[in-house]
Amino acid sequence: MSVIFVALPVALLLGAAAAIACIGCIRAGQFDDLETPPLRMLIDESPAPDVNSPSQSDRDPKDPM
Amino acid sequence: MFPEPEAVKRPSHAGPTAITSAIDTGCDACDHCGLPAPRRLANNRTFCCNGCRGAYQLIHQWGLEDYYALRDRTAGGVMSGEAVAVAGTPQRFAELDDPNLLSDSAPREVGGGMVRSRLAVSGVHCGACSWLIERSASMVPGWQAARVSMHDHSVEVTYDPEQTKLSKIAEVLGRMGYGLSPWVVGEAAARFADENRQQLMRIALAGFCAMNAMWIAIAIYAGEHSGISDDHAALLRWVGVALGAVAVLFPGRPFLRGAWASLRTRTTHMDLPIAIGLSVGAVSGVISLIVGHTDVYFDSVAVLVFLLLVGRWIQFRQQHRAADAVALLMRVTPRTATRITNDEAMVRVLADQLVVGDRVHVAAGEGVAADGVVVTGRSSIDRSLLTGESQSITVGPGDAIQAGVLNHQSPLEIRVTAGGDQSRAARLMRLVEEASLKKTPIVQLADAIAGRFVIVILTLAAITLALWWSSGPLQAAGHTTALLIVACPCALALATPLAIAVTLGRAAQRGLLIRGGDCLERLARPGMIWFDKTGTLTEGKPRWLLGEIADDDLALAAALERDSRHPISLALVDQAVRRGLSSRIARHQVRDVIETVGGGIRGTVDGRSVAVGNLAYIRGLGGEATDDVIRQVAEIADQAITPIVVKIDDTVVSIVGMGDRIRDDAVATTRRLRSMGWGIGILSGDHPRVVSITGGLLNISPHLTHGGLDPESKFALIERSKAEGSVTVMVGDGVNDAAALAAADVGIAVRGGAEASLQAAPIFLASGALQGLVDLIDASQQTVRVIRRNFRISLAYNAIAVTLAMTGWISPLLAAVLMPISSLSVLALTLGSRTFRLVPRPAASDAASSDIDFSDLVSDPGPTQWVPQ
Repeated sequence: MSVIFVALPVALLLGAAAAIACIGCIRAGQFDDLETPPLRMLIDESPAPDVNSPSQSDRDPKDPM
Repeated sequence: MFPEPEAVKRPSHAGPTAITSAIDTGCDACDHCGLPAPRRLANNRTFCCNGCRGAYQLIHQWGLEDYYALRDRTAGGVMSGEAVAVAGTPQRFAELDDPNLLSDSAPREVGGGMVRSRLAVSGVHCGACSWLIERSASMVPGWQAARVSMHDHSVEVTYDPEQTKLSKIAEVLGRMGYGLSPWVVGEAAARFADENRQQLMRIALAGFCAMNAMWIAIAIYAGEHSGISDDHAALLRWVGVALGAVAVLFPGRPFLRGAWASLRTRTTHMDLPIAIGLSVGAVSGVISLIVGHTDVYFDSVAVLVFLLLVGRWIQFRQQHRAADAVALLMRVTPRTATRITNDEAMVRVLADQLVVGDRVHVAAGEGVAADGVVVTGRSSIDRSLLTGESQSITVGPGDAIQAGVLNHQSPLEIRVTAGGDQSRAARLMRLVEEASLKKTPIVQLADAIAGRFVIVILTLAAITLALWWSSGPLQAAGHTTALLIVACPCALALATPLAIAVTLGRAAQRGLLIRGGDCLERLARPGMIWFDKTGTLTEGKPRWLLGEIADDDLALAAALERDSRHPISLALVDQAVRRGLSSRIARHQVRDVIETVGGGIRGTVDGRSVAVGNLAYIRGLGGEATDDVIRQVAEIADQAITPIVVKIDDTVVSIVGMGDRIRDDAVATTRRLRSMGWGIGILSGDHPRVVSITGGLLNISPHLTHGGLDPESKFALIERSKAEGSVTVMVGDGVNDAAALAAADVGIAVRGGAEASLQAAPIFLASGALQGLVDLIDASQQTVRVIRRNFRISLAYNAIAVTLAMTGWISPLLAAVLMPISSLSVLALTLGSRTFRLVPRPAASDAASSDIDFSDLVSDPGPTQWVPQ
């Protein structure tokens, strides 16, 4: 019995697992919006500013109001 | 990535046009929205209204100034003025807290005490907007996350109902200029989402089958070359045929179904020859497996299904966007209204529940939800949704008012005359929807020749069978099967969608956004182009056209009008600035300015009394107008130009004509289009005399210039033009053109219209220049040429493959090589085509200062780029 009788089904099963995962993602709606994610990735993450931090209010001293 | 805060100290947030208009009028641009603003404040900030000031303040307070830098670099930095007008009172958002009024937006539990709700959001134009909204979430206690989806303009918010409410979130976003409203899942949108997922799942499955079938096929061919044990070969063949059969039976089913439908209705469709090839491939594979024959074409079949599905999906997505458009349009009218009950209490109800006779309270800044008559109150309203006219008009008791109209000034009480889907706006939307449904589906050249193709292939197959019959039925069947498989027109089916997709992408880089590829085919042959006048052929705002006035007098008049936002005032100040009087305008002391709506303006400038206005207004100020003045005014009015009288110290010093000037490129474009064989006409809501004068200047024949039209009659004229048989193109920009744009064979929106009208038209000229129209038509001809060339090439490949099959030279290996090569050569030739190559890409002036080139963001012709100006 050659190894290919085991390897081939295993390879197909791995591929099928990936295909099923992909279909699951499609079902969950991950691929519905193909326009926003490519824009989102261009936007740098900044450290989440702390709203309660006192420095917040005078973050822009030039701000007139 | 972003400049330091210093660099955005006085950012020019405006898009190019907004900046230009601000400069033209001698005013500053608002620091938030870029619209012309009256004057610079002492702290070097400029705002056009309190809404902008509030938004700017809030954004800075949160330290989110990067928004401005990001916005200026994405999507050409165009920002709309409408984005600032969502000023609202807390009461206005209270409806968001009532689950009964939320319909599809009702919050649902997501665990951890959080709830999630999906809401429609208006005013989102580019990546910067979604960034700002998503970042805002972390600034409001209890609001955990926001996720903007730009393709359908919705936002999903996750929040803690204990700490915050939807109305609070809506209020915060409203201060920044984004309007939240309950999300309504349109039937069309739901169908699209479903179909989109179906197609993607098919592609995933077909891709899995195709890729695995390929490596199994490689193993078989390698084995045939170097020797392989029989049981290994049998295993590979069994698995391969199984994969091929799965690919045809599951992801390939739409082709089989399409072929069946085309057989039943006796119409020809590309699906028919495809289905023949696929089913013959699958069936012969199974049979030869059972009888032990070695020639199996499973890999070709699986790859075919995959490539075809990808092509289909690209096409589907491009064609679909019209359905989104109607859904967006439907959101223009408010979903809720305040009904006044018999005991004078105010109740918030869904707009659909309003019936004729109900009394409705419309707060200032609120939209009107139903057609009606004003009972009490006096206010200025914005009717741009219905008429495209951006200037507000004044209404009082007894005046009719329509759904979708925005109430600007003070509260109104109206009595409903037509509610819900009977309102004029709803009927207009229905026209749009019907027009986009009625549109004949793209009649592909491929479909047209598919019928003949099938007949030819079947005849050839019969001949092959007959020719080889003498060598034995088995061999004859083998060759015939091979012929049917290799004749499967994969390249032929890809030719159209590919060429169109490439053109759409290149057009988008040049500021021409095209939603449906079928437009290109229609534009390739000359027909009839109808132009809207105001804002399309003309600049859409009054300019100084004629009249003499001394510099001194002009400076006084301009000083009087310098703070007025009336278009006539802006034009007058503009003229003064052109004459180099800006410093003098600023120096004059202006006091006691009184502006009368629909009349004029007066005040004291450096101690002299100055008045500017129409004749009736000037007469009303006292003092008789001389016959000479009356005659001059009449003469100017005869030319369809607005006469404006300037009076200083009881003397009429000048009578000037203010009018809408024809755009610089309109003459050249119409001449060029005419030389290309197109007929040109005008459809305008403006006064017929004004329209015929404009038409005369552009050499448009009088029987093709129609003035004084309402949206419905524009629609009717477009329908009539279509009935005459030639391709009908509508070029317009207002929402009042929406029905006509959607009804036309090709609707082209030029910059300057409201967002909704851009959604109704399949083509949007973001560049704003009418020259884009000529480029577009050139590109359409190019594209059709590329499609035809693709056809010739794929037919040539088919001819070669069929000849080989008929002479018995084809083998599964040859088929496996030949078929992808035909698809690939179509791909290569399409990508190498010259479409749009001659039109230069616009200089990325906005991106020039940044370290990242955002121009590739524009390559997606999605609605994100459809920024109205």
